[in-house]
Amino acid sequence: MAVKELRAQELHDRINAGHSVFILDVRNPDDYNDWKIEGGKLQSVNIPYFDFLDDNEDLYQNLPKDTEIVVICAKGGSALMVGELLDERGFDVSYLVEGMLEWSQFYHPVTIAEETDMKLVQFNRLAKGCLSYMVISQGEALIVDPGRHVSEYLEYAKSENVTIKHILDSHLHADHISGGPELAAKTNATYYISSGEMQDSGMPFEPLERHEHIQFGTVDVKVMPISTPGHTPGSTSFLINERFLLSGDTIFVGGLGRPDLGGKAREWAQSLYDTVFSTLAGLGDDVLVLPTHFADIQEINANGYVGAQLGDIRRNNEIMRTTDREQFTEQVAGGVGATPPNYTDIVEINRGTLQVDLEKATELEIGPNRCAIKHS
Amino acid sequence: MNANLVVDAKGLSCPMPIVKAKKGMDTLESGQIMMLETTDKGSVNDFQGWVKQTGHELLNVQEDNGVFRFFVKKS
Repeated sequence: MAVKELRAQELHDRINAGHSVFILDVRNPDDYNDWKIEGGKLQSVNIPYFDFLDDNEDLYQNLPKDTEIVVICAKGGSALMVGELLDERGFDVSYLVEGMLEWSQFYHPVTIAEETDMKLVQFNRLAKGCLSYMVISQGEALIVDPGRHVSEYLEYAKSENVTIKHILDSHLHADHISGGPELAAKTNATYYISSGEMQDSGMPFEPLERHEHIQFGTVDVKVMPISTPGHTPGSTSFLINERFLLSGDTIFVGGLGRPDLGGKAREWAQSLYDTVFSTLAGLGDDVLVLPTHFADIQEINANGYVGAQLGDIRRNNEIMRTTDREQFTEQVAGGVGATPPNYTDIVEINRGTLQVDLEKATELEIGPNRCAIKHS
Repeated sequence: MNANLVVDAKGLSCPMPIVKAKKGMDTLESGQIMMLETTDKGSVNDFQGWVKQTGHELLNVQEDNGVFRFFVKKS
């Protein structure tokens, strides 16, 4: 026997197919509790790799003999070490070759809607809780909130035989590095973001606020930026064909965006109030809300994507019905947890005022997403 | 701070810094001090977890130009 190599794609396929997967995560307990692989019928236990150095045979007692054990660490090295120890003892074992590093860069595309002249795809970067979108019509594509692994979108566009024409960022992201500018440079597409987000930026961009509609394809696929300040001053949502609201970080399936990352929590909570009770008030309950993030794996619905009808979100989130302005502000501005790791650096990179190499970019993005407020 | 043993794990990545630390520690008597040098940022948290787990005492952590130095007293 030998320790089998497993890649993120295969691991995800197994989890997604509902197979029982047993993960032995050998990172230190702090890192494990902060951020781990979840989903489906997955079972996960945490025994740090350094515990295995002590020749303590008791450690192996509770590990299953009748199912494959997938060993995972930060980058792969420690998982392989533990995998070999398990292999020597007759366990059926594999390891995720590049560990959580690899998992953090894995994207899973899911088709949300497919009609004669329009296709809407959600790209789920599971480890980060980051969602991005591709809308396809008549041989052309529009992308919203792409992550920095631009080949995911380039390859998808190629397989669909479409040209990427428009790239939109709903806001200046604080938790992950945008792939927008790079993707635009590689495809000659237009990169749009609100000017309010790009103060002091030397980066080329098309100001979103100058466009009420962005149309592409020969069919009437309407993309309508709705100014939804709240999360950041220049946040924008996109209403596609009056039916799909790509809500950025403003409204999530499980609640609202956090207003504190600019240091003016209360002020921004006020405009979030206006967004919820004025700007979006006119939208029907049947509009499908598709956010840029999710906070919990449970938000992935039965169809395999993260999204919910506006009516359901209104019903399930008390904050969406808190019409008292004071109370709303208090709840939103007071309910935020830990900030996303490294968010000040990431904001600067996305604004073009800080350049980093690939290794640094990867390091900055490691860790969970913390852009949503979890309302109980 | 004087160390009874210096373990050089510079340039090595996970899990080697801790593997070398463990081997080094095994050669020491209770109360003696080991200094481990590592350039692997990822091992910083792990090292602290390992020290906690094993009951040794982490006396000091220094960072100098990308090199982390841990001083650990054997329990």
